[in-house]
Amino acid sequence: MTASRKGFVLRWGFLILIAAYFVVPMLAMARFAFQNVPTALLTRDNVFADWSISGLLTALSNPKIVSSASISFWIAVFAIALNFALLVPLAIVTEVRSPRLRPALTALTLVPWVVPPIALVVGVATTFRAAAPWFLGNTLCLVPFYALWAMPFTYRVLDAGLQAINARTLYEAARGLGASLWTVIFRVLLPNMRAAMVAAAMLTVALVLGEYAFASLLLKSTLPTEMVVYEGRDPRGALALALFVMVITALCLGVVVRLIRRRGVSITVTGF
Amino acid sequence: MRVLSRPESRLGILVSLPFAAFIGLFLIYPVTVVVIKALTPDGHLSADALSRALSGTYRRGFINSIELSLASAVLGGLIGVVLALVVATMSRPRWLHPALESWSAVASQLGGVPLAFAFIATIGTQGLVTRALAEMGLDLRDYGVTVTGFWGIVLVYLYFQIPLMFLVMTPAVQGLRQSWREAAAILGASPLRYWLSVGGPILAPSVLGGIILLFINSFTAYATVFVLNPGGALVPLQIRFLLQGNIITGEEDLGNAIVVWVIALLLLSLIIMTALQRRALKWIHS
Repeated sequence: MTASRKGFVLRWGFLILIAAYFVVPMLAMARFAFQNVPTALLTRDNVFADWSISGLLTALSNPKIVSSASISFWIAVFAIALNFALLVPLAIVTEVRSPRLRPALTALTLVPWVVPPIALVVGVATTFRAAAPWFLGNTLCLVPFYALWAMPFTYRVLDAGLQAINARTLYEAARGLGASLWTVIFRVLLPNMRAAMVAAAMLTVALVLGEYAFASLLLKSTLPTEMVVYEGRDPRGALALALFVMVITALCLGVVVRLIRRRGVSITVTGF
Repeated sequence: MRVLSRPESRLGILVSLPFAAFIGLFLIYPVTVVVIKALTPDGHLSADALSRALSGTYRRGFINSIELSLASAVLGGLIGVVLALVVATMSRPRWLHPALESWSAVASQLGGVPLAFAFIATIGTQGLVTRALAEMGLDLRDYGVTVTGFWGIVLVYLYFQIPLMFLVMTPAVQGLRQSWREAAAILGASPLRYWLSVGGPILAPSVLGGIILLFINSFTAYATVFVLNPGGALVPLQIRFLLQGNIITGEEDLGNAIVVWVIALLLLSLIIMTALQRRALKWIHS
């Protein structure tokens, strides 16, 4: 009896310690960001004093933050569209026509992992800066690269989605009943892949909201890079903004977790 | 019977061509140019740049980066495994496991700039934890923990490393069958003996593979260390330095050479990780 009691205390002690490690930084950040008290005066005695979201509102009305947020939004939209255009047909054809190629394709789509932003930026700067300066001059030049780093998880999510709905059986059944190729794709396969596509899109949004190295070294103004610049001017507002971005990221990933679990597909996704 | 008609037969080429062109232009082309330039620093073949990239301050950078990544991978890996094992034995609060899994999926992706800000507010010089401990007469700096120092950065990285390890390990831990433990107990094995001869060896490939994944994850992390300590001697920060100052001739080749070493290191890690994961899958699916 005492042994199991000791185990109980140990287990919960460990879990509470882990929970504290994860919660305390968020609380500290929230106090820095949302309490209208100079940081040096934040103590245990004024935990409930002067909470306000004025810092966040100021940050969100800053024109630089607004424009960089809208750029990040469009980068995410275009990166998602580009990845779908490239990978949805590829995943469908591979699953339906040549499933033997699947392991090879999975391995191939993993390659961007080996070349992280901090490494690829050197190659991009040396090649495209000389060959196509107009390309690197535009902020949207980030789109293909973000699509590249979103590729490993996008392909895996799409592929898992296709397998979960038994795409090959559906395809053969629909074709056997006389449906044309395009009917099969647009009226049978794609509607069934909606969950996988939304999950992949949300993961891409999280990636775009978090990527800093590549954008900052190419001197592009995205939300993460602008956030660091803004921190020099208004630390409190920048912290509020950072917390806000974290919450959006968490919501995106929450959608992914829900969608993927409901489909009975478990996928671990790692990025940078 | 397969129903095939003409549009489908050309479909394979039609969908793989844009994909190949995309990968070729935005990944293979820049990487190939970097490799060629690193191998031919003065226009002809020489290992000069590659060896310079591993000497002096750059050697220091690689050593620091590898030490930092190893420390955060091993610590995060062990804590993550213990967390997965502890949670696997607890069935009582039914929400615990799904809640922890969702939280891990979220936290494993929270890195970069916001995380650095959060820890500055926590263990920075004005951080709430720093000041709360100071009131009790404890100075974090006496223990070598500052948010810009080695252990401070490890502490920050654990924020995404522990959840990532938990996610990777959960299927493996769930693959440990209750019947194996019972069988071992009936045959007279102590819990320690069970872990040494059954549980440990089965989990080992997953644990090692997970730790390598965490290693890759922290080796390439840039934003967090840049915000915390932009002048630190770590490989990603040195790449930034070389990239921004590449007007000096010869420095460009050095940057290329460092990137070649980074890609080689990551490729090797990925290959070992894949091999370990394949071994680990044997037990999860059987």
